[in-house]
Amino acid sequence: MSQKPDNDPRLDQAAASDDAVLALHEKAIGEHPDNGARYRLLPIFILFTLSGLILFAGTYLNRYAAHYSPLVFNENGKPSTGEVVVKIDPVALGKKQFEAVCITCHQATGMGVAGIYPPLAGSEWVNGPSKRLIEIVLYGLKGEVHVESHVYSAAAMPVFGQVAGSAYNWNDDRIAAVLTYVRQEWGNKSGPISADEVSAVRKSMGDHKEMSEDVLMASK
Amino acid sequence: MKAEYSPIDRASSVPLILLLRSGVAWLALSGVLGLVAAAQLISPHFLDSWSFTTYGRVTALAETSFVYGWLANAGVALALWSLGRLSGEPLRGQGWALGGWLFWNLGVLAALVGIVHGDSTGFTLLGLPRYVHLVLLFSYAALAVPGILAWSGRQRKISYASQWYAVAALFLFPWILSVVHVTLFAWPARGVLQPIIAGWYAQCAWTLWIAPLVLSVAYFVVPKETGKVLPSYEFASLGFWTLIFVGGLTGGRHLIGGPVPAWIPALAVVSCALLLFHTFIVFLNLRGAVFARGVASRLISIGLAAYILGALVDAVTSFHSVAEHTQFTYFDTLQQQLALYAGASTVLFGGIYFALPRITGNLWTSAGLVRAHVGATVVGLLLLLISLGGAYYVQSQGLLDAKVSFATITAQTRPWLLGAFYAQAILLVGNIALLVNLLASACWITDFSAPATFNPAPALETSAT
Repeated sequence: MSQKPDNDPRLDQAAASDDAVLALHEKAIGEHPDNGARYRLLPIFILFTLSGLILFAGTYLNRYAAHYSPLVFNENGKPSTGEVVVKIDPVALGKKQFEAVCITCHQATGMGVAGIYPPLAGSEWVNGPSKRLIEIVLYGLKGEVHVESHVYSAAAMPVFGQVAGSAYNWNDDRIAAVLTYVRQEWGNKSGPISADEVSAVRKSMGDHKEMSEDVLMASK
Repeated sequence: MKAEYSPIDRASSVPLILLLRSGVAWLALSGVLGLVAAAQLISPHFLDSWSFTTYGRVTALAETSFVYGWLANAGVALALWSLGRLSGEPLRGQGWALGGWLFWNLGVLAALVGIVHGDSTGFTLLGLPRYVHLVLLFSYAALAVPGILAWSGRQRKISYASQWYAVAALFLFPWILSVVHVTLFAWPARGVLQPIIAGWYAQCAWTLWIAPLVLSVAYFVVPKETGKVLPSYEFASLGFWTLIFVGGLTGGRHLIGGPVPAWIPALAVVSCALLLFHTFIVFLNLRGAVFARGVASRLISIGLAAYILGALVDAVTSFHSVAEHTQFTYFDTLQQQLALYAGASTVLFGGIYFALPRITGNLWTSAGLVRAHVGATVVGLLLLLISLGGAYYVQSQGLLDAKVSFATITAQTRPWLLGAFYAQAILLVGNIALLVNLLASACWITDFSAPATFNPAPALETSAT
């Protein structure tokens, strides 16, 4: 039979019949991955490639799919967990603290009890340097104390801060709030005290023992 | 062993030849329209006096004619042909195919008239006016009938990769078209869901319809021409199922940075990466095409190289940081041409060159026209991709610099767009050569070409591995 030349562009000769294509590929599917004792590397490589791609896919989706939230449009964003961050008014918080605890001694009027509990209204301690005031609440106060040239010595101020021997273990936020409250109540007109100021004092003084008037007057 | 040419092919020839002819005719028409659009990018006043020749409509016409005219007709013809051959019997239900061919092409014609009239939908790869959707849906179903019959009536129990891809394409296109018709046109989803659905459709039309059609051709022709069992063929089914499962999830690729929930683009990024596994298997299986000598193998290896490159580019540009540079530039055009022209069309060309002598029993009429077409395709594609790449580079550099005015960018891209224009012209010349050759070779009235002499097909070599 005359063979057509293979390079005639008018006809591509076939190198295999349809039957042969079907039969031999059917056979190829049934082959075992390992050929006798010689293990082929390609199946392992393909397995690792697919696993690697799936690992990438899972990692990427976990990182950038925003938990499939329909409300997140930025791929770096995360869906809201429903928690709402509310900014608390320190005066309101301080009032709450004062009415729960401090009011017992210092009274609702902020006037204290003559000779026993010193007043807060108009007190030079309350309206004085904030560091001193913070120290009193953080570490408590023992012994005689002079307020507006009256002497108070019958009672002691308990330890409120998160320090050794604390009776109340209030955190810095609470202390700042209650001090801010007393500094603007009953006609007092001093500025607020922040939680950062309180923690700065607490960190610099460490576990100080209870304050006394002399120690307080010495500190600036 | 059956002969390479048998009365089986001849008995199935009428619908196949009609599909191939109309496909190539639509290709030539789309080439003309594409050339007009390319000219309008260079001189905006070209043919701007009539609304139906303005840029927007001309590009929609070119795209519709290319995808639904050329790729669909030629792809379905070759899918039916390979399914028929692999079933070992003449195609049954050819009346369905004839009816399907008639109404499909009438539908495409109606779509083009509708777009001229201004009824284009404005979605990428779905410019079809809504009233042709059902015509296309039912005529495609009719076209698929002989293919499904050949598949279900096949003689061997175990099927071949070419058959999987062909049958998948026959089943999946009606699915995606009907879904998009119901959700975008019959009962349109609102707001931001629309671009999500449109993006899903555009990507599925590629990954679940055109790509399977193309791969069914490649999986059939490559072993026929190399005469060897495909290497690593046992993994072909993994590659197939990866495409089917993951292909439909890549739709969000075009929505990066858009007003859509973040998980949609994230899923698309991941799917594009997973699709590389499919691409890798295709490479492993079909890499032998490079060493075969036929015209078909040469075209198919170019097409497969573009297919693989396109998948890599898709995966890389799906990342947010890369998409920032490529989105809304000529790079999108480049990617589309890389997939639909360099990837899909060259493989279909190869399939046509291989199949037609077997369908007609005659040689191609002119060897010169075959060479002209192959040469023009190679040169035109290289020029087109390089030009669009250059245009993209200049454009993206300019767009990222706030000091460069838009007019400057337009002026800077002009020489590159001129290159793209020449590339389109070269491709058009090649496609006209194909059309002339096809009409002359597959003409029942003047059947003047020499009958083909088919060498007896030797037994298939088993692979060395």
